[in-house]
Parts: sequence; structure tokens; C-alpha cells
Amino acid sequence: MKKLLKTVIAAAGILATASAFAADYPAKNIKLIVPFGAGGGTDAVGRTIANSAKDILGKNITVMNRTGGSGAVGMSFGAQSRPDGYTLTVVTREIASLPQMGLMQHDADDFELIRLVNLDPAVVLVSADSPYKNINDLIADAKANPGKVKFASTAAPNFYLMTLEKDQGIKLNAIPYNGASEAIPAVLGGHTAVTMVTPGEAISQLRSGQLKALGVMSKERTALIPDVPTLVEQGVNVTSGTWRGIGAPKGTPAEIIEILGKAFDEAMASQEFKDFMAKGAMTIHNMNAEEFTAFVKEDTAALGALVK
Amino acid sequence: MFEYLIGGLATAFSPTVLPVLLFGVVGGVVLGALPGLTATMGVAILLPFTFGMEPTAALVMLIGVYIGGIYGGSIAAILLKTPGTPASAASVLDGYSMTLKGQAARALSISAVASFIGGLTSTIVLIAIAPMLAKFALRFNAPEYFALALFGLTIIASVASKNILKGLLAGTIGLLVSTVGLDPVTSVPRFTFGIMDLYSGINVIPVLIGLFAISEALTQLEHLFLKAKANSEFNYKLLSLKDLKTMLPTAFKSALMGTSIGSVPGAGADISAFVCYNEAKRVAKNPDEFGQGSVQGLAAAEAGNNGVTGGSLVPLLTLGVPGDAVAAVLLGALIIQGLTPGPLLFSQNPEIVYGIFSSMLVGNIIMLLVGLLGIRFFCKITEVPKILMIPIIIFLSIVGAYAINNSMFDVGIAIGFGVLGFLLSKMDVPSSPILLAIILGPMAEQNLRKSLLMFEGSWSFLYERPIALAFILLAVFSVYSTMRRHKKARQAESENP
Repeated sequence: MKKLLKTVIAAAGILATASAFAADYPAKNIKLIVPFGAGGGTDAVGRTIANSAKDILGKNITVMNRTGGSGAVGMSFGAQSRPDGYTLTVVTREIASLPQMGLMQHDADDFELIRLVNLDPAVVLVSADSPYKNINDLIADAKANPGKVKFASTAAPNFYLMTLEKDQGIKLNAIPYNGASEAIPAVLGGHTAVTMVTPGEAISQLRSGQLKALGVMSKERTALIPDVPTLVEQGVNVTSGTWRGIGAPKGTPAEIIEILGKAFDEAMASQEFKDFMAKGAMTIHNMNAEEFTAFVKEDTAALGALVK
Repeated sequence: MFEYLIGGLATAFSPTVLPVLLFGVVGGVVLGALPGLTATMGVAILLPFTFGMEPTAALVMLIGVYIGGIYGGSIAAILLKTPGTPASAASVLDGYSMTLKGQAARALSISAVASFIGGLTSTIVLIAIAPMLAKFALRFNAPEYFALALFGLTIIASVASKNILKGLLAGTIGLLVSTVGLDPVTSVPRFTFGIMDLYSGINVIPVLIGLFAISEALTQLEHLFLKAKANSEFNYKLLSLKDLKTMLPTAFKSALMGTSIGSVPGAGADISAFVCYNEAKRVAKNPDEFGQGSVQGLAAAEAGNNGVTGGSLVPLLTLGVPGDAVAAVLLGALIIQGLTPGPLLFSQNPEIVYGIFSSMLVGNIIMLLVGLLGIRFFCKITEVPKILMIPIIIFLSIVGAYAINNSMFDVGIAIGFGVLGFLLSKMDVPSSPILLAIILGPMAEQNLRKSLLMFEGSWSFLYERPIALAFILLAVFSVYSTMRRHKKARQAESENP
């Protein structure tokens, strides 16, 4: 009897696994791991794309916040999940930086990257009454006073700043704050001279004129703040920013990646998703699996050069 | 301004908004009362449901959850020594002592009234002087946060009123625990032993659940096997007029302190409750009553944590930056509704701003009514036989510890601290200093190191910045008065043994 039961359970197990690979994907609800807390930007992007994609896939996508270690805990958890297409992960730029700093055991190679969803440049911000008029004023001051210009850093280490420092051979006094919500008041209150955040994080201070943008760190001007020149335009050939995409554990069948990729394409094109991203001052940037994989490889190399 | 306010009140009472507000407050009270489910989580979980709602109704509901959630945590803290949220941990000290004396109804009514005073005062301050308060908040930076944390930490000495050494022992355990995780400046892992779950440090909520809920359940369990201690006679007497008179000055002062602390980004209701408690004890005529069921102690903690609700909206509405985790979610809600939080909101969408103000006024009234009318119902919990209550508390604790981050690791932390708290209570070592040190330790460390970076290694920020200096002096007074009290107590003891 016991033996029979074992056989039945084993058979059921094989059937269940087989069905996961079959053409009827998705047969059950999908879980999306968000490696940052509920209410933040990454969470909002994850929840909204999940909401838009669920109607396309015909199954619910439930979001699970798994926070800790600047995203390392959630992304490692996602990388170790069963590669059956039922556990997906919101992959953020930390996948390119943390492993190289020894702060995460998994890296981008542990994922099948499906789609890049969002790419935002960093903006260099000073308070409205700052003596700096453009990025070159800041660079000149930093050159004259090495290590003296106070920079409100949203994370330690700060790659936006390090890219600029390396390119220009300057050094700022980077003071680590817990994210944009603490770094922005530090600039508003005059405790620090400058900060770098994404446009969405500072949109209300930019609109009200409390903060002044010295430049945006992208190749071309961003539609959200079209009046702000890029650093490149000002003769400083530096770009940096942050990005978020969706990945599945390595080994997930190609057909499933294909199905998911198409679903996310459709979700990103939906009016609902476009409206949400526009309101949050975030830029939709769709890259397919190959482009996204190459992009992450390139970014990992760029960050590696900064870390070393 | 007044016409907008009246318009706002009309909105708050309109048939589409009032039920939403009522639902928010009651839902918040329930969420807050359950260990592990916090006001922040409640607001974050409800956020996606507001996407399709009309902006005012959406914000009103979230604010209702916020107000209710901060208050709800205290019900469980007072009745079961199981604070639903970290903001209510300070209410355990005197609230649960009252419950043990059979005065649960009195404690709950004090808590409801003090929370109401805290919430209402901070809302009025928010409406009246938000822009001025925002200027004050902007003067806060690393040196001021460090000094505030330092003042908060001196409460360790005053919580441990009987044996100061044991209090310091508990505080040191907490400080050591708070060093686990990535170094805040250099991002080097400390005491993580390669375990990734430890990289972001030990989460305070599982610790809270363990130290209070689980360890109390274990103690109760032990009592079941030992000869059961007869419960004090239970009565349904609410607070007396004398209680009200005693608590009013403390409650108003704590409400204003809570509003100020809330208006500073990065310091929330948990810190406020402890700081207000400490301050109330520092100035009290009979500080020895604190921790034994003091009306003032409970009122200070309760007005202090609800005082944060209005304060945390100050930076949100005037600067566009959130004052605490809940305000961060509200910021997201405003943006999703296509609104720009910050000073522009007053000129572009005054109906939204005054809708928020009025719903806070009405929400606090609803909270008071729910709190007072619910007392009889809440008190029934204490009549549930222990043999049923203990497994329920342990069950809720484990679910709560898991839910905060969907992590079994956190469940392990909760159980570990539960056993630790139980063993420490056997040795008369108080557990609240551990929690306090875990909340304030990282704040003190990060901001001290940030200050030293800002001032390039100079310690001048300790005396050159007036707000920082004021808090440091308060900390010194607080330690001094506690020491003097202990000396007196020891002298009195040696005179009449």
C-alpha cells in the first residue's frame, strides 16, 4: 500500500513538472519577487507590470516583497527558485554591482533576463540658491577644493558619483544617506551642496523650483525634464542611471521565456502602464532578452572598473 | 484657508468619503493590533486598491489606516503585552502594568484619549504652521539626529528603574545586535557570517514580536504549569476625572514633541513614543511610578506616537519628501493620482490638501469613538482562558514575523528573541532596553559617522549646532537625574532596611 502510494505521488510529481513545461503555460498563478520594500519605486514598477501582464497571461501575478541587503536577499532568493516560469524576479542594477563587491553570491548569469522595463538617468541637483550654475561650476569647485564639496549620497558606494569622479579626476566628500528621501532634505536644508537622484525621485522639488538641475546623466535629454541639458552637452562625457527589468531563474525553458517576453511587451505597451510610469516620472525602456543580457554585461563591466 | 477647510470638512462627511474613512480607521486599528502587521504595511497593501479611486477618497482611506494603525498597536500592548507595532512598545511599560492590576479598561481609555489628543494636536499644528515646522525640520541633519538618538538612549537608564546595571546590560545586548549588517558608511559586512539575510541587519519587528509577545506567552505557559497566580479583580472602570487632569499637560506636551519628531524625515512614531516617555519621566514629580502603571507614562507614550501622524505629513506637503515610511507610501499615492506633493499642492490642488486635513480631524474623532466604544469588547480578550490565548498569541506571532518580509529567517529571529526575552525576565533583566537600543543604535551610529564626515573629523558639531546641543544637554540631565534618584533610593534603603 505504502509502495503504491509512493508511486502515485511520484507519478503525480512528474506529471506536475511535465505540465509546467508544456504549451499550456501558465497553468497556475505566477509569483513575482520584488527585492525592495512595498511602497518604493521598484515595488511600484513590479506591481504595475504584474497588474498589466496578468490579463494578457490569463493568470494572476502575485507580488512578494523580499527585502534586505540592498536587493541582494530578494534577487538571490529569485535566482534559487525552481526554473519553471512560476517564480519571476524584478532584477535591478544592484545585480551588476553587489556581486563584484562581494555582497551577493548570485549574479546576472544566474538569471534568464526576460525584458528591461525601466531605465532612468541620474540628475545632478543643487538647491535653488546654489552658486553652481552648471556642471562645470561644480567640477571646478571640486578641483579647487578636493574632498571638500559635500555630496548627499543615496547609497554607499554611489556609482552615479563615482563615474563622474573617475572621468574628471575629482573627489567629493560623499556622505551616505538612506535613499533620496533623506538626501533631498539634506540639500534643501543646506547641509550638503549637491546630490544625484533619478528625475522621478525629485520631480516635485524640480517642479516647485526648490531644487535646480545642473544636468542629466544620459546621452540625450530626457522627456521628463526637457529643459535640463545633459552632461555630455556641457562637455562632460559621463552617463549614469538606474534600471529595472524582469528575470527568471537560469534554466527556465526558452518557450516560457518567449511567452513571458511577449506578455511583458504587451503590458509595457498598454495605456495603463504608460500612464502609471508617466505619472511617477519614470521612463519605460523596453529591451528584449538578448539586448537586456548584453546591456547588463556591459554595465557589469563598467561598474567593475569603478569598484576595482 | 477657512473656506477650504469647511469645504474639506464637507468632503470628509460626504457619503462617498465618510464610509471610506471609517473603513480605513477601523481596518487600521485591526491591522495595528495584530503583531507584525504595521500601519506602514496596511497602507502599502491598500495602495494598489486606490489606483482606481477618486484622489481624495484614496488618500482619506490611507490616512485612516495610518491613524488607526498607530493607535491599534497599543490595544494589544496594553492587554497582552504584545505591542502590535514598534510604536506601541513604550505603552507596554505602564499600560500592561495597569492591566495586571485589573485596570485594563482604565488603561485603554487613557490610551484612546491620549492618542486622540496626540493626533488632533498634531493635525492642528500641521494645518496652522506646516511651513514653519518644515523650516525647523530642514535644520535637522546628521548632528541633530545623533543628539536625538543619544537622548533617546538615556531612557535605558530610566526604564531600568530597579537595577540600573541590568538595564545597561540589556541595552548593551541591543546595541551589539544593532551592529549586525552592512557598515552604514563603507558597506563592509559586520557579524554576518556570510548569511545574506543578515546583510540588512536584524529587522526590529521580529525582535519586538519575540521579546514581547513570544516571551510573554512562554511566561504565561509556565504559570499554567505552576500554581496559577490569581488574577487581580477585573473592573470596567474607565479613567477618572483626576486621571484626565493628571494626564492632560503631559499629553499635550508629548503631542507637540511627537509632531516635531514626526516632521523630521527619518524619525518615526517608535522613536517619538520612547523620547516622550523619557521626557515625561524626567520632569515627573514621582518618577518611581513610571513602569508601575503611571497615568502620565502611558499618556506620554500614546500622545507621543499619535502626535507623529500630523507631523510626518509636514515634509510631505511642504517639501515633497516623506517624513516616515507611511508618508513615503502616501507620496507614492499622490504621484500615482497625478498630483505633485510639495508646496505646489497647496496652490494647484487645495481641495486635496484640505481634504487630507479635514479627514485627519474627523479620522481622529472616529478613532476616539472606536477606542472608547470598543473597550468592553477589547477587554473580553483578557477573559479568554490562558490555555486558548497562549497558542493563539504564538500562532499570530509566527505569522506576523513571517509576513513582515515573507521570510522564515525572521521567524527564527522572533523565536530566538522570544527565548532570550523569557530567560532574561527570569533574571529580572528588562527587555525594552534591548528593543530601544536596536531602534536607536543604528540611528546614533550612522549619524555620528555622517557628522564626522560632514565636519571632516571635527567634533565641533556637538556644541556649535544649537538643536544638537539642546538634545545633548537633555541627555546629560536625564542621566544625572536618574543617578541622583538611585543614590537617594539607596540611601533610603540603607537607613530603613
